[in-house]
Amino acid sequence: MADGFGRRSFLRAAGALGLLALAPPRRLQALLGSAPGPAESGHFLDAHELDTLRAVTARFIPGPPDDPDPGALEAGVAEAIDLLLGAFTLDPTLIHAGGPFSDRAGATHDDFADFVPLDAHAELGWRIRLEGSQGLPEREFAGPVTGLQEIYRAGLAHLDERSQQAFGVDFKDAPGPAQGLLLSDQTDADLQTFVGAALANTLEAMYGPPEYGGNRSLAGWGYTRWQGDLQPRGSTDAEVSTPGPDTGSITGAMLDDLQRFLPALIGQRASRTQFWLGRSGIPRS
Amino acid sequence: MGRSAIILGSGAGGSVAAWALATAGFDVLILEKGRNLLPGLGTAGPIGSLFGNDEVKAGRFFENQDIVLEPRTARTQSEAEQGVARSFVGDVNTLPTVVGGGTIHWDAKTPRFWRQDFKGRSLYGPVPDANVADWPLTYDDLAPFYDEIEQRLGVQGDLTQMPAATLAQAPRSGPFPMPPNPPMYGGSLLAEGARRLGYTAYPFPMAVNSTAYDGRPRCNSCGFCSGYGCPINARGGAAVSFLHHALLAGAHLTARAFVYQVNVKRSRVTGVSYLDESGRQRGAQADVVILAPSAIETARLLLLSADADHPAGLGNRSGQLGRNLMFHFFTIAGGVFNADVHAWRGPSTTFTIDDFVGPVANPAAAAAGLPYLKGGICEVGGSFLLLGEAETYAAIPNSWGKQHKDLMRAGLVRRHVAGLSMVGEDLPQLANRVDLDPDLRDVYGFPVPRITHSAHRFELAASAYFGPQLGAVCQAAPGALTSFVLPVATLTEATGPGGPFAGIASTAHIMGTARMGDDPDTSVVDAFGRVHELDNLYVADGSVFVSAGGFNPTLTIMALSLRMARHLAGT
Repeated sequence: MADGFGRRSFLRAAGALGLLALAPPRRLQALLGSAPGPAESGHFLDAHELDTLRAVTARFIPGPPDDPDPGALEAGVAEAIDLLLGAFTLDPTLIHAGGPFSDRAGATHDDFADFVPLDAHAELGWRIRLEGSQGLPEREFAGPVTGLQEIYRAGLAHLDERSQQAFGVDFKDAPGPAQGLLLSDQTDADLQTFVGAALANTLEAMYGPPEYGGNRSLAGWGYTRWQGDLQPRGSTDAEVSTPGPDTGSITGAMLDDLQRFLPALIGQRASRTQFWLGRSGIPRS
Repeated sequence: MGRSAIILGSGAGGSVAAWALATAGFDVLILEKGRNLLPGLGTAGPIGSLFGNDEVKAGRFFENQDIVLEPRTARTQSEAEQGVARSFVGDVNTLPTVVGGGTIHWDAKTPRFWRQDFKGRSLYGPVPDANVADWPLTYDDLAPFYDEIEQRLGVQGDLTQMPAATLAQAPRSGPFPMPPNPPMYGGSLLAEGARRLGYTAYPFPMAVNSTAYDGRPRCNSCGFCSGYGCPINARGGAAVSFLHHALLAGAHLTARAFVYQVNVKRSRVTGVSYLDESGRQRGAQADVVILAPSAIETARLLLLSADADHPAGLGNRSGQLGRNLMFHFFTIAGGVFNADVHAWRGPSTTFTIDDFVGPVANPAAAAAGLPYLKGGICEVGGSFLLLGEAETYAAIPNSWGKQHKDLMRAGLVRRHVAGLSMVGEDLPQLANRVDLDPDLRDVYGFPVPRITHSAHRFELAASAYFGPQLGAVCQAAPGALTSFVLPVATLTEATGPGGPFAGIASTAHIMGTARMGDDPDTSVVDAFGRVHELDNLYVADGSVFVSAGGFNPTLTIMALSLRMARHLAGT
């Protein structure tokens, strides 16, 4: 079945429409294989900023020794965020992974790695979102926009400033609990703007497809026992219509969590007001 | 025949019109603001897809309108009365801006409207502070077009399991083209809960292939359904079911074409002006122009097209243009199960319940000063995918860290909750409207649409009345440990379009800004969608709805568009 929608016929059709120039996956592999290590600069962030961001993401999704399962550090979350921030210095631009299939569920080729090029219209949107409007009239039709790059640069510097004031060391050198205390300061609006952006991007990089540079070794799909992308294999009828493997795993503590969680949502404003973030909830039919 | 038509928008209304007119011999040009993400569409080869099981891409404006480039603004009715220009900028019920329109990632649920939906004013009378009216057509006028659309879309369902009340209100001439998908497990539990309380849950009619159909494969329940483009095109829709065949019949499609003006000479439309993909101004002429860019954009374009003869906008002699905007009003309930109910696995939901459609004239209605209450159809058994689950937990401030990871490890919402969502009917109000924002412009340089919207107490009272019944269904399901009710639209009403439930309450059901009617003094278009004051300008999207019904609107948009096109073609 998959062959009917396979890469070859797809490419032929794409070529016929003059639509696409797909980026070869080898370039993606080279890009992801050369990820910067500690104390090395990224594509947008400098070495210190990237180390600071690693520390931030490790508070958001902790790994060993604080948690038995791999966390944001192990999954390469900060490096993936740097790839997003530096998207326009990269080839391919890692904004929209290709389709229809990765090679994880029965297909032989990873179409996800063939990132879809942005056309001029889409590129302008992402340049504004990442670089900001920068006073350029062609970007300020609806008023000035602060880009994600600036939000990260300013936010990471602000974290160091707060950390120096409070603890006398840079954020990345502060003890974990101290870092957590700073990040949770809801009275600091500038800080929470950064936290909103960084948390959203952390979740994407941890739990999204690994082609975007995060979720290394499928870390985010391991402890969550998530199947990830399922095409072209899909589910069997039995998998759809009968209970799954986690049956019986609910505990009283989990129900308590849920009871706390639901009322806590009411009346709280989420980051959706910050429209550069982009995620808009659950689209409906 | 040598007649020509320009169609704006390649979504549900536009693609159906394009197919019906192209196959009737019209020279058809479709202008679509978005780009084409279905390689092979309209060619003899297979239709491909650039969509994948990818939650990141879906959140990055791959197919959705990019709100940085095309923001919308919003305010409440009371803010409007106080002279507040806007209180929100961003995503106000945006739809995909792409070839195929909203159906590129729709949930594909295809209930029909009921008889009573077309004659609400005659049957049940007026409602205070609402603009309730009859449609200028009946269910029977639309029924043959429902039949034909269902056949071409490829709709699954089971006539034998449908409630008698539903079939009395929406009678069918025959069975569905395909049998239902395998029932989703979580939905089956809620369906049993409904049965225990005396309600009827039955297989949800939907445009999803349960068998190979129209050259497209069977759905394999990957679970990335509502909100995701189908990687294998097992889901019917505007692009694959209509536009594809329109293009094969000779229609022309121009993508990345932003129409900013409908051109008029006296009582006739001559064509449109648009910006092409490189921003150049272009024009196109035709005998007929059909607008189908969805209800918010239709109103905006007719307002943008004002001229000396039509100073308040084209088709606005009645003053109704842009008004009576309806979105539906969702109420959600959920059951928590010790079983792994994986309610994400499948085509979003496979069951529906019609028992809450109403109307009910009861003390709850009287207490709200209303003659009756109406709810709507229920989508039974949905849940979140992984990233959606992570973002939901993260909506609570400072919820990151070990506790977030523990919730993700347990997969509490993703594996152990099955939800139920009521598509509540909302009433038309004059003050709920689209106009042009006085200050903000989009990337094309034109004023963005401004939405003024507040719920009527009808919706709030109905949600409060039906919500506990939805919760009871969940609680009665076999193995339910507990249940909850989330009146998401009510909460969004309180917290605004930036609130935590705005995403969930965002319906993508957009109706009513150019209502149809026989009287040009109280409506914008006639019973065939023709703008009253112009000879050859038609509207073929949700704008023309007079009432919202408690039902997903797309099948009705398509049936109305087909009826209009057949009328135009004289066939």
